[in-house]
Amino acid sequence: MTSIVPLLAALILSVPCVYWTQGLASRPALEAAGLTTLCVPADQADLWRAAGVRVMPVSEAELASREALPTPGVTARAGVASPTRAPWIVANGWRIARNPSKKYAYSPAAGAAALAAAEAYAYGADAILKIDPADLKRAGDMLTFLQSVPPLDLPAIADVGIVDDGSDITGEIMNLLSRRNLLYRIVPSPASQLPVNIVIGSSAYPREQAADPSAFALKVRHDLTDDRRSLRIFGSEVVIVRLTGDGQRARVHLMNYGGRDIEGLRVRLKGTFRAGEALVAGVGRVTLDDQVSADGATEFSLSRLTTYAVIDLR
Amino acid sequence: MHRRAFVRLLAAAAAFAKAPASQAEVRRQPTRTDLPKLRVVSRYPPAAVPGMPGPYPGRVVSVASDKSVDIATGAANGDVVREMMARGMRRLTGASTTADAWRRFFQPSDVVGLKVNCGGYPYVISAYEIVTETIQRLMDIGIPATQIFLYERFQNQLDECNYTPHLPEGVRIVAAERANRNVDNSGYDPATYLEADFFGEDDTRSNMMRLVSQRLTKIINIPNMKDHGATGATGCLKNVAYGSFSNVARTHQRGKSYTYSVVGSLAAMEPLRSRTVLQIMDGLRGVWHGGPFARTTRYVFYPRRILFGTDPVAIDRLLLDVIEKERLARGARSIWDRSPDSLRMDDTRARDADPNVNIIIREPGHVEYASTLGLGVADLAHITVEEEAV
Repeated sequence: MTSIVPLLAALILSVPCVYWTQGLASRPALEAAGLTTLCVPADQADLWRAAGVRVMPVSEAELASREALPTPGVTARAGVASPTRAPWIVANGWRIARNPSKKYAYSPAAGAAALAAAEAYAYGADAILKIDPADLKRAGDMLTFLQSVPPLDLPAIADVGIVDDGSDITGEIMNLLSRRNLLYRIVPSPASQLPVNIVIGSSAYPREQAADPSAFALKVRHDLTDDRRSLRIFGSEVVIVRLTGDGQRARVHLMNYGGRDIEGLRVRLKGTFRAGEALVAGVGRVTLDDQVSADGATEFSLSRLTTYAVIDLR
Repeated sequence: MHRRAFVRLLAAAAAFAKAPASQAEVRRQPTRTDLPKLRVVSRYPPAAVPGMPGPYPGRVVSVASDKSVDIATGAANGDVVREMMARGMRRLTGASTTADAWRRFFQPSDVVGLKVNCGGYPYVISAYEIVTETIQRLMDIGIPATQIFLYERFQNQLDECNYTPHLPEGVRIVAAERANRNVDNSGYDPATYLEADFFGEDDTRSNMMRLVSQRLTKIINIPNMKDHGATGATGCLKNVAYGSFSNVARTHQRGKSYTYSVVGSLAAMEPLRSRTVLQIMDGLRGVWHGGPFARTTRYVFYPRRILFGTDPVAIDRLLLDVIEKERLARGARSIWDRSPDSLRMDDTRARDADPNVNIIIREPGHVEYASTLGLGVADLAHITVEEEAV
């Protein structure tokens, strides 16, 4: 018989935990935000437990040991123009994918807690959120939503393999690949089943070319070709996708870094899927619009993308 | 009102004088090797006679009136404009009455879209008087107001222009997006698009407005006479093309413009090409520099004419010379000038301050390119201009 304890632990781990330092007096606000599980300083854990709140104690040492992640979102970079005029996105998926077993801590700026929570969830990160109290409701709503997403354990889909030499420049390449929704996975050596493999310093991908990560990512895209990409996004330059699937089913995580809802986002993914539906944060369950399958690919539109959505196809 | 008509048949009227011979060499575009690969996706077949170039390829009716606009105030005279419209439509069609002229293009069952231009707000937009007159004449021939749509891509631009007080009740105003923020795609048809990668942008599709592909049966194009930093000039082709598709600003940036082939390629896409049956170029006012915008009067001029036709290429070919002539008269660089020394990439402030600054190498050759797609006649020797004066 499956033990419920590890199952609960797994669920708790899959949804990021809000680190809360305010006292018991804040409980009504927490409840109003729908937060039923908290991470609290170790010395406050018993107080919360005595009050009937489920908490996970986090010591200062553990908190300090976690890798701090920057606030996700878009940012203006004065004097830095990208070749595509695309907004500069700060996203952490590549960091999490690079070190999936690592533990992370976000201290998102006000307004970004929900996106941070979604990002951590989409990449399966063990993450703690030190949120701005002003974000409590938004964070709570997002965490409640994430808990409502049915678990579906499917492998990540990739079109590109990258051999990680641990360097900063390789990390930045991963960042730009993620930013362009060029799906990759870290491989110990070039993988023959992937159309493109990147080894920084190889003749195909010289180290000096990697000095311009944006141009480098564009070269990877051209080497891969758009036709061979497992997934494309149309209608926004600020949505990053994580795609998992097994050939029969697919789960698409859509993270909107732009701060504004997007209407009519178009998604194209390889494979023929007859049915699908979306769970959109803040909206709920919605049907997919204008879904078509042709030429070995499936396309659909999402009427509204808030901060985050999960789309399951089968 | 005292009206006196002059009718002339000219191969290339004096009003559309050719630019100086020194520009002739520049105008002969070499065979372009930098054309992007474009993929057109549309399930709509062309009409038996596509609206562009329609029944009058290479033919333009130009109706001018010095009384149409008060240059001191910029105000248009509605009565004069009404007469200009009537003359132009009758002349174009050969119909004996104005109503019959409109019936040549429309029937009561049509759902008609007016593609206006709001980009030149506040000084050079599709004139209220022309828009109103167009709608009235459509209603006169039995098209209900509820079957008439005035459209642009961006609602905030339509809000600025505020056509509503000028329109009969029932006419609908439709935009595809609230503003130019790339967050609102629901007004575009996901199955009708042009796909191309110009600068490595992630979103490689430009989708046609749903209104155009799924609702309208006919379109009247009402552009202005405007300079344009990326295309040289913006008239019929660019107004109906870039004004009916999403995600088109990506074609011109950082000094480079792919508009040479894209403007015509979008205009040629079905069903836009077949349904755009009438071109009414509002030349009451114009912009000779800094276009397509007109936030100040500094670069505004007053051609005080309206052009009628079904061939967008022919009208735009004339427009190139109108803009060129005005620029040269004002001491500004030719729209055909491709010298890099004029270029101040992305510096719109410098462009607005100095008519000899370009932010992009202009592509006035887009008009000729459009002719190669069958959209009309670009060769001046084969364009007939019929002039009337009111």
